[in-house]
Amino acid sequence: MNELLSLFLRYALVNNFILVMFLGLCPFFGVSKKLSDAIRMGLAVTFVMIASSIITWLIANFILIPFNIEFMETVVFILVIASFVQLLEMVIRKTSIGLYRALGIYLPLITTNCAVLGIAEINFLEGFSFLGSIASSSGAGVGFILALTIMSGLRERLELSEVPGSLKGLPIAFITASILSLSFLTFGGLRI
Amino acid sequence: MPFNDFSKGLIKINPIFVLALGLCPALAVSISIENAFGMGIAVIFVLTLSNLIISLLRNVIPKDVRIPSFIVIIATFVTIVNLTFKAYLPSLSESLGIYIPLIVVNCIILGRAEAFASKNPPLRSVLDGLGEGTGFLLAILLISFFRELLGTGGINFAILGYEFGSFIIPLFSDMPALFFIMPPGAFLIIGLLLGLFKRMDVI
Amino acid sequence: MKENIKRVVVLTIIVLASSLSIYVYNNTVEDALKEQEMAELTEHINMIFPDAERFIQKDDIYYVYSDDEIIGYAFEAIGKGYGGDITILVGINNDEDLTIKKVSVLSHSETPGLGARITEDEFVSQFDNKPIDAIKLEGIDAITGATISSKAVVNAVYSEYKNKIQSIRSE
Repeated sequence: MNELLSLFLRYALVNNFILVMFLGLCPFFGVSKKLSDAIRMGLAVTFVMIASSIITWLIANFILIPFNIEFMETVVFILVIASFVQLLEMVIRKTSIGLYRALGIYLPLITTNCAVLGIAEINFLEGFSFLGSIASSSGAGVGFILALTIMSGLRERLELSEVPGSLKGLPIAFITASILSLSFLTFGGLRI
Repeated sequence: MPFNDFSKGLIKINPIFVLALGLCPALAVSISIENAFGMGIAVIFVLTLSNLIISLLRNVIPKDVRIPSFIVIIATFVTIVNLTFKAYLPSLSESLGIYIPLIVVNCIILGRAEAFASKNPPLRSVLDGLGEGTGFLLAILLISFFRELLGTGGINFAILGYEFGSFIIPLFSDMPALFFIMPPGAFLIIGLLLGLFKRMDVI
Repeated sequence: MKENIKRVVVLTIIVLASSLSIYVYNNTVEDALKEQEMAELTEHINMIFPDAERFIQKDDIYYVYSDDEIIGYAFEAIGKGYGGDITILVGINNDEDLTIKKVSVLSHSETPGLGARITEDEFVSQFDNKPIDAIKLEGIDAITGATISSKAVVNAVYSEYKNKIQSIRSE
């Protein structure tokens, strides 16, 4: 149990996917201006991360490793993730139009989100157990939501503040992210 | 005219500074010039060859399965790069880590496949790939130059395992600003560079 | 219908072509991959034991020879760092107390500038020629700002030493 908790915290705080490992930056700078969008996007990514961690773990441990074809890992993982996202989009569209409007529009973007393939690769390379993969991916997802939410709050405020002309927009967002990332580094002292 | 396919990627539509694509690797591996060269060369290789193959197959692949087809083609070249680095450049492979397989989801590559290679003939697509790839390499080199210089107090010029000399700043290298090779340093440098380019009207 | 078949056929051909080319390429570099792993290990063993002429592996222990005499032992220890596993090669002197000769970090994924400094000489040289009982956190100065990574190395070396020592002694 302790092990799982520490995996969760490792990827949620210490190795925060966005602020420390730089995974999933596109939505971080793209979508994150509105708080509600940020939370929805974060939830969609988290769900896909956990689900694809489970699927890729099963494929890795029941197909790739027994048949000694670990070198096919990247191709297989990305194909699986792409098909899963596609399937999910179809299911959501058929079942709940409300949910589709809320989350569906983000789904096509998620396939090429480094965070999803990133967590699958990490689980595989670190050789996490089944539960370990679930813990690491939910940690990564929570960390993702956390960073996205904080950032969107900061950017809402940034819109109203006086920023030197040439730093307006993306440059100041990066500088803000730098300070945020610095504050996340302090989790490095956490005893996990 | 074809030269334009190459040169536009360098500055005018530089993938990192103008399109803001492919940021993950640009921030994550730009700790040193050596890493930057490794990542840059890997991206040039994958981008150029996947552009070539996708352009050759552009009339064969049905429109609605093009994204999965592109992803598989890209993933194949990424795996080849990954295996090559592992076999012949182990220390580089170690320090680039998961960011090599993650080239698959680097938006630059899928972006160029979709926006250019799937609509243009092979020669032009290759030039486009080389140009955008080189633009990526230059951008990541620039970022890593500042990070390595400030973060370690010197520069070690190395490309794919070959060392071309190094220098250190006396005194400063004893107590460098570690901040710059840590994650926040990456965000700060890229933010300041973007601001500088905007100020100079380059982008 | 015809369109559907075309889609499936094209996608299948692409996937098959991709798998085939990766398979062929993997086979051509396989030897180089294995050689590389060996070369890396040899390099680390030579760094720990500059006099080493050859080494043989039995179970998980490397027996290091010079002039047909065992000059030391080496084994891998794995610690849990922040970024994931830290693999350390531990060299042991073939002396009365089986003191540590030297340790060397084989692989890690700690934060650059902080935990990654466990590879630096300043940290690893603290293990040189120490008896195992001195390898506790009090005996080794942790890197400032990277206590966890330092601790991971120390604990891994200590506990793996205790695991392996029986089989080394019984040789």
